[in-house]
Amino acid sequence: MTAETERRLFDPRDAFDHPVTAGVVVAIAAVLVLATVLTVVLRRTGKIGDKLHRELIDRIRSWAIMAPVIIGPILLGAAWVIGALLVLTILCYREFARATGLFRERLVSVVVAAGIIALAFATFDNWYGLFTTVPPLTVGLIAATSILKDQPSGYLQRVALGAFAFLVIGGGLLHLAYFANDRDFRPILAWLLVTVQMNDVFAFISGKTFGRRKLAPNTSPNKTLGGALGALALTTTLVAVLGHFVFRGSPLDDPVHLIVLGLIVSVGGQLGDLMLSSVKRDVGIKDMAATIPGHGGFLDRANSLLLASPAVFHYVRYLRGIAEGQEARIITG
Amino acid sequence: MESWKYQPARDLNLPPVQRWRSVWREDGLVEAAVHGAWWSSVSLYLKTIHRLAVEGREHLPAAPPFVMAGNHSSHLDAMVLAAALPARLRRSVLPVAAGDYFFEAPAMAAFAAFALNALPLWRKRAGHHAMEELRKRLLDERCAYILFPEGTRSRTGEIGQFKAGLGMIVAGTDVPVVPCHIAGANDAWPPDRNRPKLHRVGVRIGPPLRFADAPNSRDGWERVATETESAVRALAAGHVVT
Repeated sequence: MTAETERRLFDPRDAFDHPVTAGVVVAIAAVLVLATVLTVVLRRTGKIGDKLHRELIDRIRSWAIMAPVIIGPILLGAAWVIGALLVLTILCYREFARATGLFRERLVSVVVAAGIIALAFATFDNWYGLFTTVPPLTVGLIAATSILKDQPSGYLQRVALGAFAFLVIGGGLLHLAYFANDRDFRPILAWLLVTVQMNDVFAFISGKTFGRRKLAPNTSPNKTLGGALGALALTTTLVAVLGHFVFRGSPLDDPVHLIVLGLIVSVGGQLGDLMLSSVKRDVGIKDMAATIPGHGGFLDRANSLLLASPAVFHYVRYLRGIAEGQEARIITG
Repeated sequence: MESWKYQPARDLNLPPVQRWRSVWREDGLVEAAVHGAWWSSVSLYLKTIHRLAVEGREHLPAAPPFVMAGNHSSHLDAMVLAAALPARLRRSVLPVAAGDYFFEAPAMAAFAAFALNALPLWRKRAGHHAMEELRKRLLDERCAYILFPEGTRSRTGEIGQFKAGLGMIVAGTDVPVVPCHIAGANDAWPPDRNRPKLHRVGVRIGPPLRFADAPNSRDGWERVATETESAVRALAAGHVVT
């Protein structure tokens, strides 16, 4: 392992080197402080009632815990990012498996978990060849091991649920992890996580302001076309403006590419959200779990990343490259 | 084409501590691995330190559901009965444990759920409703219970009276009750001590009893309790470990 690799993986010294990373951290802290002050002032002046005050304080508090948990690993180093995303992926798979009943198929779960760990290893090793090899092999292995039960009834269901979970959850979140191999992983991840999160916020605000026509009433009755289009416009702008600073000097730093990236983030984020809503409607549940008070499960929070991450990853990789010039196959040599 | 049937975990929407306390708790891969590791170490401990001797293994049913009912005078008892099972059956065994002791404090509840795979029974609320839940789970999932019908650990080592609760779980079903007698556990780890001491422990397993024809009412429940108690007492005759 070269000194440069070790520094990228484990050393927080460069955490605030890039202005986008520093800016994002300062902005998050400022928003949390401002929101708290504003809530207190509104309460003191009697503009909001006790109930709303309590609710707002609860939300701010849960974000005050979640924000450092999400941003912390990015500042600490690439190894922390990969580790945190591995844990998150396993937790999300667990929720999906428990919600669909797939968890009763122990063998499928073992193969999916092994596939997720193999993908995380390929990521940590910066071995792109293995990273692209694991998915088809894992899906094949799920199909193969499911035969062992000698019970054709329900075969397609267990194989399809296993493959879906592995590719969408494991694939989605671990593409995000693979960004950690880039020299500029901190600003890229901060940029992507903030814009995907803001996409949800923009959709909510625009929906409240000028949302009338329902977007997909059977899938998610509260989403409106106005909300979706508002988010599309605002998120694309934010992605493009911040993206200009993140990708400065690369072929991506071009208005057309930055706008396409913005559209990918916004459309991908919203579709990820609707995808999880479809899963929940189909299964007949409201939340994936009751792990985070007020938020449901981990998957309820991570849903917007599942489809957006691989799409952004490959767009960036095609035009700019990811992990260029970094030591490859760190462990396997 | 038939549509897919999803069966979400029955404890899906419970927050962690409530989930550990739920009679409907269902395990994933991690919990299964923890139970496996726990019961293998307990089994090894009992065999090496307490020289656990198992008689009558041939009476164990080939597959769940079944209920192992034994005399209770030590914390070792549930471990002894679980250790008497082959690994294949141990996977589906759920010891029914006192809720007020094992499930009140969150840390203890986590241990009871993760390591022991225990289900809680609150002794103050051990009425028909609580037993009905246990009965439903036993039949639904075809699991196995370890149960001590005396309801508490005997302080003297003598066998106490078996309570009707066992009957509420099995009366009128074809679930076999396996009577078991544990000897030596009261000397190895009596209720008034904080930790066990070196002493041999043995368990005798009797032929399974069936109560398919017992009515699911007070009469039937008492019949189950009495017959199981006599079966355990019969096994106790001459069963000593030194």
